[in-house]
Amino acid sequence: MKPTGSVLGYDSAPPISAPLRFFLSAPLFGIVAGVLLVFAPSLLESRWTPGALSITHLLTVGFMLMVMVGALFQVLPVVCGAAIPAVRLTATVVHVLIVGGALALAGGLLLMKPAVLMTAATLLGTGFAAFLFAAMIALLHAPAARGSQRDLRLALIGLGVAVMLGLALSLTLAKGLALPLLTMLELHVGWALLGGTGILLAATSWIVVPMFQITPPYPATLTRYWASLCILALTIWSVATVFDWSAAKTALSWSLVGFAAIFLIATLTLMRQTRRNVPDASFRSFRLGIWSLLGGLACLLATGFSDHPSLPVLTGVLVMYGGFVSIIQGMLYKIVPFLAWLNLTQSGIKAPNVKQLQPEAEARRQLMVHGLALAVLIVAVALGNLGMVRIAGLLVMLEFAWLASNMLGVIRAYRRARTGTTTTLGPGQTA
Amino acid sequence: MSDIVVDARGLEPPQPFEMVMEALADLGPGGRFTVLIDRMPWPLFRILDRDGYKYEHTIRDDGVVVIGITAP
Repeated sequence: MKPTGSVLGYDSAPPISAPLRFFLSAPLFGIVAGVLLVFAPSLLESRWTPGALSITHLLTVGFMLMVMVGALFQVLPVVCGAAIPAVRLTATVVHVLIVGGALALAGGLLLMKPAVLMTAATLLGTGFAAFLFAAMIALLHAPAARGSQRDLRLALIGLGVAVMLGLALSLTLAKGLALPLLTMLELHVGWALLGGTGILLAATSWIVVPMFQITPPYPATLTRYWASLCILALTIWSVATVFDWSAAKTALSWSLVGFAAIFLIATLTLMRQTRRNVPDASFRSFRLGIWSLLGGLACLLATGFSDHPSLPVLTGVLVMYGGFVSIIQGMLYKIVPFLAWLNLTQSGIKAPNVKQLQPEAEARRQLMVHGLALAVLIVAVALGNLGMVRIAGLLVMLEFAWLASNMLGVIRAYRRARTGTTTTLGPGQTA
Repeated sequence: MSDIVVDARGLEPPQPFEMVMEALADLGPGGRFTVLIDRMPWPLFRILDRDGYKYEHTIRDDGVVVIGITAP
């Protein structure tokens, strides 16, 4: 008897190029964000400057969404047993549309050009809808949903809502639609950061934190209820925001911050119980991201008590760059070599050790530059020092270029193993 | 239930996968062993399908997946 749902054919395993094209494109958007910081450091004076909006979306759509979509091409079949239909074609189409859309969005926001924003909305809307459709088909045919699978579905819904709100915002800016801009913006940020990215991070963490960080599992109550309650609270918060029920909105905003804090503290508590003797680079980066997200939540709460102009920008830096980007980079250092190893092994080729595919020292050095860039950026924003913003921009360029170089190194090692192996293994033989 | 048990719990990927592949290499025709692992190993199932192994699994109350594998 085979386990339910194990009918995935060998051919349904995703080709390595499906997720890798997203992973390799993502750092390029980070490099462009660094260039903007170097040449226009004053853009961080407010979160509403065209430059700040552009950088925000270079990181959130160009880097974060790009990696998340790429990772889902791998996570859905490997973790959930959910095979994405016509995976090569789907990956190619979605990748082209999201890359084009992210570039157009960053350009359209920077230049405030309606035609470019319309192009961005069309490309991103189509690309994400295509991905969502394929992912939902895959999940519908997957085995019964358990913790992570169910929460991945919720995250896809959350990301879908965030993208739709983003499209409505783009149309409002481009076509002057009569929509309440600030309300839409609030909803977009809430759904993008908590409904989409936050729940996706949690759904992934339920699996990868115990798996890669060698910790005990998350408490069952948390994995069973956290994401569903978050979506419920976000939905009620959205209604309160639309109808401007200020007391309810304030209370619900606090509850959303509370939900985020519960997940972050649970993750830190688990990571303290790791059975690793020495934390590796990925572990440190993940931990930095969790602490940075907690710092971002503290700044967010502080904006309720202080009008200091740097607080909203600092919140964005801590949540997006210090938080999500750090965590995603840490995950990439686990996912990419594992992907290469798995693909070689499934092809019957003797795979090098994952530590040979991605040397730890290279990952550690790159992540140190990332940490330095974050520290300089935080001080620069807090002090409003343009010179330091420029230095941070240079470091951001360097760290993303280094990240791309490290991933290319894994691909070179992968290719060497593929082309250099003279003996392939037959059935029953192992690497 | 077979006597040989590969306990792959609490290990970072791809170590569990490597342990199972080593056990497969040592398995004679018709031989059988049991794997204890923290999660459902879908990529392993693909290789077992491809190479003609028979397998079945149960999930214990503590979440550990128990897989019995029999060589062709």
